[in-house]
Amino acid sequence: MPFESIADPTYLRSIVRVSLTVSLTAVLLSTALSLPIAFAVGFSEFRGKRLITAVINTGMGFPSVVVGLLVLMALSSSGPFGSLELVYTPEAMILSQCVLAAPVITGVALSSVESVDEAVRDAAYGVGGTRADVALITLKEARFGVVTGVLAGFGRAISEVGSVLIVGGNIAYADGTSKTRTITTAITLETRRGEFETALVLGAVLLALVLLVNGVVMRLGGR
Amino acid sequence: MNLDLDDVSYGVDGTAILSDVSLSVGSGEVVTVIGPSGAGKTTLLRLAALFERPTGGALRCDRTDPWALSREDRLAVRRRIGMVFQRASLFETSVARNVDIGRRIRRPWPQRLRGFGRRLADRLVRDEPTVDDRVLEALELVGLGDAWDRDAASLSGGEAQRVSFARALATDPDLLVLDEPTSDLDPRNTAILEQAIDRSRERGHGVLLATHDMHQAERVSDRVAFLLDGELVEIGPAERVFEDPRDERTARFVRGDLLYDDNELLA
Amino acid sequence: MEYRRREILGASATGIAAAVAGCLGSGGDGGEAGIAGEELALATTTSTYDTGLLDEVNAAFQERFGTPVAANAQGTGAAIESARNGNADVILVHARSQEDEFMRDGHGVNRRDLMFNDFVIVGPSDDPAGVGDTEQATAAFDAIANAQAPFVSRGDDSGTHTKELAIWDAAGVEPGGEWYQELGQGMGNTLNNASESGSYTLADRGTFLSMQDNVDLEILLQGPIEGGPELLANPYGIMAVNPEIHSNVNYQLAMAYIGFFTSPAGQDVVSNYTANGQQLFYPEALSEDPDFQQYVPEGWQSDGDSE
Repeated sequence: MPFESIADPTYLRSIVRVSLTVSLTAVLLSTALSLPIAFAVGFSEFRGKRLITAVINTGMGFPSVVVGLLVLMALSSSGPFGSLELVYTPEAMILSQCVLAAPVITGVALSSVESVDEAVRDAAYGVGGTRADVALITLKEARFGVVTGVLAGFGRAISEVGSVLIVGGNIAYADGTSKTRTITTAITLETRRGEFETALVLGAVLLALVLLVNGVVMRLGGR
Repeated sequence: MNLDLDDVSYGVDGTAILSDVSLSVGSGEVVTVIGPSGAGKTTLLRLAALFERPTGGALRCDRTDPWALSREDRLAVRRRIGMVFQRASLFETSVARNVDIGRRIRRPWPQRLRGFGRRLADRLVRDEPTVDDRVLEALELVGLGDAWDRDAASLSGGEAQRVSFARALATDPDLLVLDEPTSDLDPRNTAILEQAIDRSRERGHGVLLATHDMHQAERVSDRVAFLLDGELVEIGPAERVFEDPRDERTARFVRGDLLYDDNELLA
Repeated sequence: MEYRRREILGASATGIAAAVAGCLGSGGDGGEAGIAGEELALATTTSTYDTGLLDEVNAAFQERFGTPVAANAQGTGAAIESARNGNADVILVHARSQEDEFMRDGHGVNRRDLMFNDFVIVGPSDDPAGVGDTEQATAAFDAIANAQAPFVSRGDDSGTHTKELAIWDAAGVEPGGEWYQELGQGMGNTLNNASESGSYTLADRGTFLSMQDNVDLEILLQGPIEGGPELLANPYGIMAVNPEIHSNVNYQLAMAYIGFFTSPAGQDVVSNYTANGQQLFYPEALSEDPDFQQYVPEGWQSDGDSE
């Protein structure tokens, strides 16, 4: 039976696969959503900009269980989006992690875009850049901040347990393959069962994964 | 490229910054704008480099008003102009890639994307920088031919400004617009940049330069324009303007005793 | 039902859904579903899941019917609540009063007695309140309250919590004060906590036996399986979610699951399941004698023809 066997590679692999798939997809979607917002806000001056920035920064600390609860209520079969039948699925977990990661990525990206000197944008325009080129060059100048934001978003997504437990349900099949069980929810389960060694192994795997992703992204980002 | 400004005005929110300025820069000609701080030199140069659109009068590049053209056609005109700012503001990458940026963004998108993908892949396996001949040539013009593989952040202020000059030269522009490029530089770096300006003139480029340095204006200019409070007071051959200014205010300024007091000109 | 599910899957196959399904499906070693994309959603309690029993039963079910079971293990209260919201096809819980309410409200149909084990009162081996000397659950709780010995409660509206409150009620004690702590956690966490803090607690025998080696606690009052008081009995019931109220539930599959679990084959899995060499659950679905009360709320009588 799968419980005695954290060494069982199928169990571990499928948990890791769900964790990575959910969190990476969530961060990808969240990044696609957040960067345009960060750019739109960062490049323009308008009334209420400080308010929006404050809202984004507050969102960074939004409790994950609250997000999970709201997503569960929205997706629940008796809720407004119940007909999508998404409750207790990886898609629901992606949605809630997306909501959690977006303010982190937007906030960090926004502050790094804003810290790019006006003179750099002039220089990009001056060498014959179009508006798209200027935006891209600004993005490149802000890339360490942006990459840091994306990594922080990923860190928040893959290490949070509150929302995925609520909207995902920590479900695994009897043959040891995970449906919505992530590394973090598996840790809560193993702790609940008193299997501290297994929980520790899972914790180490989580740490190693975060390190690995950070390493690869930092290498790509050039630092 | 022949640049013509015909009674050009510019204002923001009803405040006039430039009023009825007429000026031209021909091929192989260096025109220098002098004047006290706040006279509108930078605005004039930004108009010349098509950063801003005049709010009055007409600006023409080779007898065509670029602002009457489509965005694409105007981009083509803009890409024949090179701009250097008072501050180098290099991008956070190698010297070679800084100088090469203008050429990269002129390539079609599929090619740019392939280049980006190749670079990402290179980062994962190895990181061997390469350099293009055109980039080297531009860097040699500012005496930095051996600095191409350095990180832009490692340059001194003078070197960085020389690289930003090379960045403008690398796309072989017909018109160079230089906004006080040497104001923060030591004499040696200043001399190297002045040589590069001379070289550009010899190659038939037009140069529009703004400077605080009267000696530099005398050294490099064919013609000198004196700008004061957004108005062009006087323009003429460099020698004539410095030796025999026609306007009293020009005379005071080139003598060095034209000063502001409470933002009012002491007459 | 199948058709509708697939239609909805198709309709909601936006970029996200497609991308994720693609990613998850690529593993290859998961979910050999009998009917494409179908699985049974089971809402259950932590005690059945954490002991590992459900993995045995569900594996056997999947082998027989080719459909995987997605078990969502919560407290009984949470499991019933999620079924009330239409998020489960079948529930397996152990709090008869809550099950009855669920049935009376029309959410649950076709209830069956499934299996039982019992609760035990556990605590530190030095037993400061003298629980080991009592013979009734009410007397044991009374002793704990009198000694103001530390007691940790699940406090999570689970079946165990419901039972615990019923015992306090029967003992005529209103628990409260610093010695009484509500954790709001599952059985495993609660046992860990009791072990660390030297507290008493009420535990289901199954979870306690499966965790016995990891905690520093002893059984101080046995349940009815070992001759203890009947009040500590812990019966599990199973029922399907009413498809007339929740049109999205997979009723046929739910009934197949109930049928399998209450069949001789399913009940054999229950009686053969052991942890640390000890049987954790006892089958209760099969009997030669009729037992009509398992189908209806406890004490229910029809207005018309009965009696």
